[in-house]
Amino acid sequence: MGLIDQAVDLLETEVNNIKENVKDTVDALDYEYSGAVYDSILTTKLGKVIGWAQKNALWPATFGLACCAIEMMAMANSRWDAARFGAEVFRASPRQADLMIVSGRVSQKMAPVLKTIYDQMPEPKWVISMGACASCGGIFNNYAIVQGVDRVVPVDVYVPGCPPGPEALLYGLIKLQEKIMNEAGTDRAAKRAA
Amino acid sequence: MSVTEQGLLERDKDTMTLNMGPQHPSTHGVFRVVLEMDGEVVSSAVPHIGFLHTGIEKTSEAKRYAHVIPMTDRLDYLNPPGNNLAYCLTVEKFLQTEIPERGQYLRVIMCELARIASHLVWLATHALDIGAMTVFLYCWREREMILDLNEEISGVRMMTSYIRIGGVAKDVTPGWLQSVWRFINYLPAKIDEYEQLLTHNPIWLDRTQGVGVMSREEAINWSMSGPVLRASGVDWDLRKKRPYSGYENFSFDVSVGKNGDIYDRYLVRVAELRQSREIIKQAVDKLPTGPYKVDDNKISLPPRNTLKSSMEALIHHFKLVSEGISVPKGETYVPTEGPRGEVGFYIISDGGNVPSRVKLRAPSYMAVPGMCEMMKDCFIADVVGVIGSIDIVMGEVDR
Amino acid sequence: MTNEEIFEKVKSALGEDIRGSEVSLGDPVLFVEPGSLRRTAEFLKNDPDLNFDYLSHITGADYLNEHREPRFEAIYEFHSIDKNHSIRVRVGLEEDDPTIPTVSDLWKGALYPERELFDMFGFNVTGHPNLSRLIMPDEWEGHPLRKDYPLTTEDIAFSHNREFKRDLVKSKPETR
Repeated sequence: MGLIDQAVDLLETEVNNIKENVKDTVDALDYEYSGAVYDSILTTKLGKVIGWAQKNALWPATFGLACCAIEMMAMANSRWDAARFGAEVFRASPRQADLMIVSGRVSQKMAPVLKTIYDQMPEPKWVISMGACASCGGIFNNYAIVQGVDRVVPVDVYVPGCPPGPEALLYGLIKLQEKIMNEAGTDRAAKRAA
Repeated sequence: MSVTEQGLLERDKDTMTLNMGPQHPSTHGVFRVVLEMDGEVVSSAVPHIGFLHTGIEKTSEAKRYAHVIPMTDRLDYLNPPGNNLAYCLTVEKFLQTEIPERGQYLRVIMCELARIASHLVWLATHALDIGAMTVFLYCWREREMILDLNEEISGVRMMTSYIRIGGVAKDVTPGWLQSVWRFINYLPAKIDEYEQLLTHNPIWLDRTQGVGVMSREEAINWSMSGPVLRASGVDWDLRKKRPYSGYENFSFDVSVGKNGDIYDRYLVRVAELRQSREIIKQAVDKLPTGPYKVDDNKISLPPRNTLKSSMEALIHHFKLVSEGISVPKGETYVPTEGPRGEVGFYIISDGGNVPSRVKLRAPSYMAVPGMCEMMKDCFIADVVGVIGSIDIVMGEVDR
Repeated sequence: MTNEEIFEKVKSALGEDIRGSEVSLGDPVLFVEPGSLRRTAEFLKNDPDLNFDYLSHITGADYLNEHREPRFEAIYEFHSIDKNHSIRVRVGLEEDDPTIPTVSDLWKGALYPERELFDMFGFNVTGHPNLSRLIMPDEWEGHPLRKDYPLTTEDIAFSHNREFKRDLVKSKPETR
């Protein structure tokens, strides 16, 4: 009987010791984790989040007109992968796209078509003018070419070159992403979406 | 559609008009076809072109002969060296100059590299339209190598303007020929890869055999040229029939098809890929040493290191850069074989340093009405295949 | 066939229709009146020795700056697939009424180039099934490839001289 009592006493002291130890540890863990709840929440403006989402998923509409379209296709291919910057799919229908890359020379006959496609895109939308011909008429200063696509649609980023290499167009895309982030949460972005 | 008295819509005709507009992923540029559809079958196809009209022919009448070369780059933008060569051959026919052998061989190498690059774009976009997306990514991988070669020798990926009046712009950089050699040794395995994906693929065969057929007489009458004409059974390759720029020194085969459908055009172009590789191999093997452009300083610029020592060189340089070459009066036309067919420049000169009329004979332009003839009685899904198989490039259709 | 043989054959069959012939830098060229174009074209196509069954291109030219009569010309180039020879036919057209008959029933490839002749030069091609604007927009006025049509209406508004550029941009004319 004395032995059992002794064993029970020993067990009780052990369990109490463990409980004491665990309590210290649990208290320590409690103390540690009480701040972690605040570490795992981001606080930021809603506008900036929307801007971040928009810039990382810019889907271009296929608007390849001339030689620059070939370099745009090269940008979409495996060497200069535009998909890693968010331009995952080139949507054939402008109603499903938010970026129009005007790549190539815009002739007088094509200008109304360009305006129609731009109008069909839903807000918010951006335009990259790719190449010299789209930016300013390029080497063709004559009766047939619109001297710069900004006479027809508002342009956000101009990418010069004849044709600009895919790396230049990617730089233009990244610059557009920076522009979207700078504008995000401000009035300018709200006007774009209106 | 018209409105009856009760205000109801009424059909005027039995066919539906479908507009395959200028902005379309499968029309290979800004090409508009208005299709009259009887159900799924196309009963007539009316093309509308002109959406990429650049006025290059009229602009060339205001530029000196050497300044027209960058404009010719941008006509058929998938084959810039071929256009350059056609223009330079015509001007050199006026000037009656002989281009040195090394210059001719370099021209041939550049043109055949451009032919391979253009056929790769054709295969990529044609297969993408019919549904094989992998081929698109594979072909562009090889094309990037050719564009790197272009960039090394001329500084520009696509619009090289490397072929000038009197020869080529400058000599090859050290190591370029080794890069070309490595590329052409790497290429046949890749062409086998594309063929493995497509040639005996039952989906490909179903969609391309018997579709868009054009018989031999029709192809000649509709002025088709290049692979389309050869696929219809006509043995007409201008590199063999009217050899230019040293092509008579190379031995290569001309592939001729039988049925004139999309599948035959595919086979002809893939065979041309292999033959172009053969030509480049022979050209790099036998590349002669010597000058790469004409010695005559009235036509081509003198070497820069002589400008400090020789008075005539300085004067010639000044005259060539400011005034340009003067071409004797006359008119001529030199047909060459581009990846799409017969490319040629018809030039009328009035004796000055500015051409009086420059006209590009564009193979895609002559192929457009024949293509729309082929589209009759096709299903709408075949329209895309036909457009892809003719391989039109709107830059040269609209000029 | 050599150039001399071609000329001999053509002249013996169509003697009075051919106004002249020359060899221009190695290419045989025939000069024809618009009224005799049909007969010449049919002969060139149907004769078994000449057999010009392939139309390469049709183009036009305006000689206003060279001050020669007639002002316009339509130029046809034919190849023969079997015999591997070519010929060029030049038809002079008057300034006030440039009319030319069509050859699109003989070579269907002539449909588009003849429409372009109308669009770019203003030639009236009689007998063409659909003579309308091809490359320019439908409501365009003027024929661009004529020499009296201006290349452009605006100067390039770029200058290294900033003051000059400011004035240039202010005085830019209206675009079309």
